[in-house]
Amino acid sequence: MSEDKTQKQVSTSILKKRWKKFKTLKRGYYSFIIILILYAVSFILPLFIGKDALIVHYNGDYFFPIFKFYSAESFGQDIQGEANYRLLKKQFKEEDSGNWVLLPVYPYSPNENLLSELEGNPPHTPSSEHWAGTDDRGRDVFARLAYGFNIGLSFALIVTLLTYIIGISIGAMLGFYGGKVDMFGLRIIEIWSTIPFFYLIIIISSILQPNFLLLTFILTLIGWISITYYMRGEFYREKARDYVSAAVSMGAKNKKIIFSHILPNSLTPVISFAPFAIVANIFSLVSLDFLGFGLPPPTPSWGQLMQQGVVNIEYWWLITTPLLAMFLTLLAIVFIGEAIREAFDPKVYSRMR
Amino acid sequence: MHKKLVEIKNLKTYFFVEDTEKQKSLHQEISDPALMDLYKTDKYLKNKVPAKAVDDVSFDIYEGEVLGIVGESGSGKSVTAYSITRLIPDPPGKIVSGEIIFKGKDLLKISFEEMKKYRGNEISMIFQEPMTSLNPVMKIGDQIMEAILNHEEIPKEKAEKKAIEMLTLVGIPSPEKRLKDYPHQFSGGMRQRVMIAMALALHPSLLIADEPTTALDVTIQAQILELMLRLKKEREDSAILLITHNLGVVAETCDRVIVMYGGKIQEISEVDPLFEKPLHPYTVGLLSSLPNPDLPMEELKAIPGNIPHILELPKACKFNTRCTKAFDKCFETEPELLEVEKNRFVRCHLYENEK
Repeated sequence: MSEDKTQKQVSTSILKKRWKKFKTLKRGYYSFIIILILYAVSFILPLFIGKDALIVHYNGDYFFPIFKFYSAESFGQDIQGEANYRLLKKQFKEEDSGNWVLLPVYPYSPNENLLSELEGNPPHTPSSEHWAGTDDRGRDVFARLAYGFNIGLSFALIVTLLTYIIGISIGAMLGFYGGKVDMFGLRIIEIWSTIPFFYLIIIISSILQPNFLLLTFILTLIGWISITYYMRGEFYREKARDYVSAAVSMGAKNKKIIFSHILPNSLTPVISFAPFAIVANIFSLVSLDFLGFGLPPPTPSWGQLMQQGVVNIEYWWLITTPLLAMFLTLLAIVFIGEAIREAFDPKVYSRMR
Repeated sequence: MHKKLVEIKNLKTYFFVEDTEKQKSLHQEISDPALMDLYKTDKYLKNKVPAKAVDDVSFDIYEGEVLGIVGESGSGKSVTAYSITRLIPDPPGKIVSGEIIFKGKDLLKISFEEMKKYRGNEISMIFQEPMTSLNPVMKIGDQIMEAILNHEEIPKEKAEKKAIEMLTLVGIPSPEKRLKDYPHQFSGGMRQRVMIAMALALHPSLLIADEPTTALDVTIQAQILELMLRLKKEREDSAILLITHNLGVVAETCDRVIVMYGGKIQEISEVDPLFEKPLHPYTVGLLSSLPNPDLPMEELKAIPGNIPHILELPKACKFNTRCTKAFDKCFETEPELLEVEKNRFVRCHLYENEK
């Protein structure tokens, strides 16, 4: 009986315990699963949302336009440039000659101009074909939102990862070595943090054409500071703990003490802050795009859509859909963050009655 | 007598604290050239006064013995022990002067990098708090293996084998399984066993045990002490330095005892003579404050007063504020540590004439 019990207990590290607790927090856990699936799907998005057909069966041959460019002529279409597979599908259906086209579920691309197929002037109101209508250049809003999700979240994840790597290393260094390193390090950080980064971004964006890499770089330059302070504090506290002095008394080297003793014990704030850092980074990309200093057009971005929505305020779907998309994404991530914080909290909420 | 393992000569470990009142009159008072030099070279010490945690302490540790250091909190016993491994937090602490000669080498003259080769390998420590002395996010097997791999370049499997061996030795059941457990899955006594396994994994010549049983309950205390002694017997020439304020522990385990008060050694004696006939008034006070079940119920005799603040230690004899036998001379000059009998040293004016 007791043997059985010890066997079950084996290897439940604190992190595993926290993961188990996280799983019990339904709101955060399901948000996590949903975001994870959506993000994974967003990498293979052309399979679901896009103008290129998955498979074309034409005159007994199979074509895979999703991987390769085919001109319209190769399918006997009477237009210039690339084949229009939506029209092709209609055409094949009418001909009824055994040719067929398999389109993605939502057969519109984010950067595709639909003016030739739709009547009237853009923006077009939402319909069963265009779930969120089109924007002022006749591009499908829903497709743009979906592709924007991948870009926004990837951007936030990369920036968060980079800022954490830099912030944790510098914070660890300041906290562990202390003394003069800490003193001068902090002063340099203080000077660095007084640089008005928003203006810096605006200035850089007006000189250089901003792109994904440049924006990542600039936001990383700002972002590392806050986590540095947390790590510094954690290291200051943890290095005075008994297990550290025990490790020192066993003759452990500095590298070992920093990486295998103190760092794993000071990751709590890092992990609990990560979702909120991601939220902040998504938000900063959206704001920059909104102001026109973000990713260059025609990159599908939420901020750019919102900006269109503000200019064309009478077309309600232009402002509400990106706002709703951002709201839901940020809400889900905040739920994840909240659940992580709860999972890391050793105290269960309770009160006296 | 056995060979000397460690020779500690005139060890002075001070903690430098800020005290604006005292610092004005400080510089006239310094008579110690080593301290004077330190003040001249180290800018950090400006505006700071030394709290003399360990003040001119000399003693030897012989091979194969268990040496106890007893004293109240703040008497300097832990700092003395930590000085041997140079685990003094700096700042504010500093080993001002002295020599710690371990196997013919002065540990205070080597670099910290070199010191790391001694720690855990030649000299290891057991700490007071088993609950916090183990890294909570590391499996205990990994922690024991790390202690081994810090000093020996052996493959991991071999280190693991050694870790299992050590866990078996300290009496942890099914060590192969427990190796993969985390500290929170162990009780206090079990954790202290793990600490001992870690400390003894490389068969150090000197084991410093800093109140190893204070945080444990009484039944476990006895087991842990017994375990330490048993393991020591397996290596004849190794020594244990046991720091404690529990005189019962001293009586059970130690060969010799050092009684410390106010950062100074007050009495050194073999165990039996000390308990039979304590000489220093402080030792007398310590012993009479022990409850004795053989005698009829009476009030415990506590030593009157409190240990003075470390910055306000009396000038002459450190114990003169609380001593029941103090006379004029005790407030004028500090007594020397005199050998009154063979292997018996006392720092008290009462015994000066007997010499």
